[in-house]
Amino acid sequence: MTSLTTTATRERAPRADAALEVRGLTRTFGDLVAVDDVSFTAPPGLLTGFVGGNGAGKTTTMRMIMGVLAATRGEVAFGGAPVTRADRREFGYMPEERGLYPKQAVLDQLVYLARLRGIPAATARTEVLDHLDRLGLAGRAKDHVEKLSLGNQQRVQIIAALMGSPRMLVLDEPFSGLDPAAVDGMVDLLAEHTARGVPVLFSSHQLDLVERLCERLVILSGGRVMADGTPAALQETGTVRHRLVTDGDAGWVRGVPGVHAVDVDGPAALLELADDATVQRLLAAALERGGVRELTPVRPTLAQIYREVTA
Amino acid sequence: MSTPTTGHRPDGEAARGAWLVVMNREIVVRALNKTFLVGLAVSVAIIAALAAFFAWQNSKTDEFTVAVPAGDAVAAAAVATAGVVPEGQGGGAELTAVEVADDAAARTALTDGDADAWLHPADDGDGWVLTGEADPDGTLTRLLTVGIEQQTLASNAEAAGTSVEELTAGGGLTTDRLDGDAVDPQVLFFASFGLALLFFMGALGSGQMIAGSVVEEKQSRLVEIMATAVPLRHLLAGKILGSSVVALAQNVLFAAVGLVALSFTPVASILPALSTSLVWFVLFFAVGFLGLAALYAVAGALASRAEDLQHTTTPMTMAVMGIYFLTFSASGTLATVLSYVPVANVVAMPVRVLSGDAAWWEPIVSLAILAGFTVLALLVGERAYRGALLQTGGRLSWRRALATAA
Repeated sequence: MTSLTTTATRERAPRADAALEVRGLTRTFGDLVAVDDVSFTAPPGLLTGFVGGNGAGKTTTMRMIMGVLAATRGEVAFGGAPVTRADRREFGYMPEERGLYPKQAVLDQLVYLARLRGIPAATARTEVLDHLDRLGLAGRAKDHVEKLSLGNQQRVQIIAALMGSPRMLVLDEPFSGLDPAAVDGMVDLLAEHTARGVPVLFSSHQLDLVERLCERLVILSGGRVMADGTPAALQETGTVRHRLVTDGDAGWVRGVPGVHAVDVDGPAALLELADDATVQRLLAAALERGGVRELTPVRPTLAQIYREVTA
Repeated sequence: MSTPTTGHRPDGEAARGAWLVVMNREIVVRALNKTFLVGLAVSVAIIAALAAFFAWQNSKTDEFTVAVPAGDAVAAAAVATAGVVPEGQGGGAELTAVEVADDAAARTALTDGDADAWLHPADDGDGWVLTGEADPDGTLTRLLTVGIEQQTLASNAEAAGTSVEELTAGGGLTTDRLDGDAVDPQVLFFASFGLALLFFMGALGSGQMIAGSVVEEKQSRLVEIMATAVPLRHLLAGKILGSSVVALAQNVLFAAVGLVALSFTPVASILPALSTSLVWFVLFFAVGFLGLAALYAVAGALASRAEDLQHTTTPMTMAVMGIYFLTFSASGTLATVLSYVPVANVVAMPVRVLSGDAAWWEPIVSLAILAGFTVLALLVGERAYRGALLQTGGRLSWRRALATAA
């Protein structure tokens, strides 16, 4: 029965194809520039990861996107036009600091929040029960939020953002505190929204997770955008290293022009090579000295790129 | 189906009905709150108990045993009739006559506690004496003074060949006043105390509730979710109306319990005047509390955590307590002045209406002044609420809240 109503709800959900664009967004608090001329796009139907350390400006940027904090300069556009209050009413938002009414039942407060967004009570109820069911909280609908574990409160919080077929999702650290299975469940849920064209912007400091999930990445540091693109494109721009394994000791590589040895350990070396000609020169030199077991390019991990761009 | 841009959510509906959704939640959450319900039940019980005590105090009859000389018909008759007072007038008592053989027996009866007083003819034969072990009880003295007077009058009249009825025919005096029933000053004091207390409990209780509910949403960042869904103005309106409905319903309940309880007491005759005064009170309270609620909401928004509330609500608490103490203790010119000062007039004007001292137009003018205050409080409060609500990090000042909302 639940699945029937679910299908009905999803069929009714409008297809979205609007992108969220942030242009020159700036916010100062006194002398502190928290967000400095930030521009990026969260394209429709894609998961955009918003990465950065503490104090990088992720939360401040998201609050400005949602209109709960006024921008000092810059603008936010949705579907090509400046974002309006009516647009934002259809954005799903998960703020950084979690909290719901601690002493109200899960179902009641989710229905309440949905009704504030103009969703009729009956529709909201069906949708909430469906979501609770999917996130394994079916039996907890009548429990007070304070009785739930932190992970479960987190799930309730994300349901609050996902109700009513939002046209845009802005999620501040949606995966923090979730176990791997819960992360997968949440990812499946988000995939349904990207499948109907919704742009999803989420912040995280779990780089491995972002690398696995995101089709698009924005790296923020000190309030500025340090990198913006697909993970693959970012890896291209990152410094490509090569791993060389020879039969003898590889210490001689230090003398080859255009080669910067990052690490040499007996026959194995990790090298940064200036250009393709250097690669050929290095290979020739290695073969002259004996056997070559391995020469492979090493793609940088996101963590490496992150360290490089934020250094 | 609605327009494709807004999906299945009609755009206008969300904004229009939002305050109603918020109001409903405020009322339901409060109405189901155990602490609130227990407090309500205790208050109702206290009001009923107070009224019952008042009624018992008024209706209870004192019992006295009076020693009279054996065979003294006049004394016996005086004791027998003195306890009976006309219907509707309080202060009666049950008197029992005990015959004593002589003066010595009478004194023994007094010292042994067998009799409360001894009624006997004066030694010089002129009049009567009421002797007690110490001073005889005041009520007993009053009753017997009248009783002995009537008996003497009756026996003297009989001796003169006439009757008391004939002698006093046409000489009765009753009182009347043009402005309705007179209100006993003591009743007036209790009424003003009661109204001040109703105001105090309603304003403080519901005020704290709205401040608490605002900071709960602010602290948990729920307000950030809600701010994107509905205009903050709607959120505030829903909260103010919700808590006002609760506060008002609570006061109407208390007033009704009080009135019903009082109708069983001897002060039932002033119920019409008291009801009029209570209707004014409810009206004044409804208007005044809207303004107070807006200010309490700001107090909640100025706090960042529930712990800050103590500090940010202090000015409001002081004001409400000040009004409480001033209004039930005020009299004369101060009472007249207070009956025009918002929010003190919520209590002071209905009290003046009850005392019959206010002209018909006075409550209307006073209510208009109160309405002016409330409109001002709502305008300023709404601005400060918007300015403070989304600012985090410590307590805020009114000045900063108002500046931010610009």
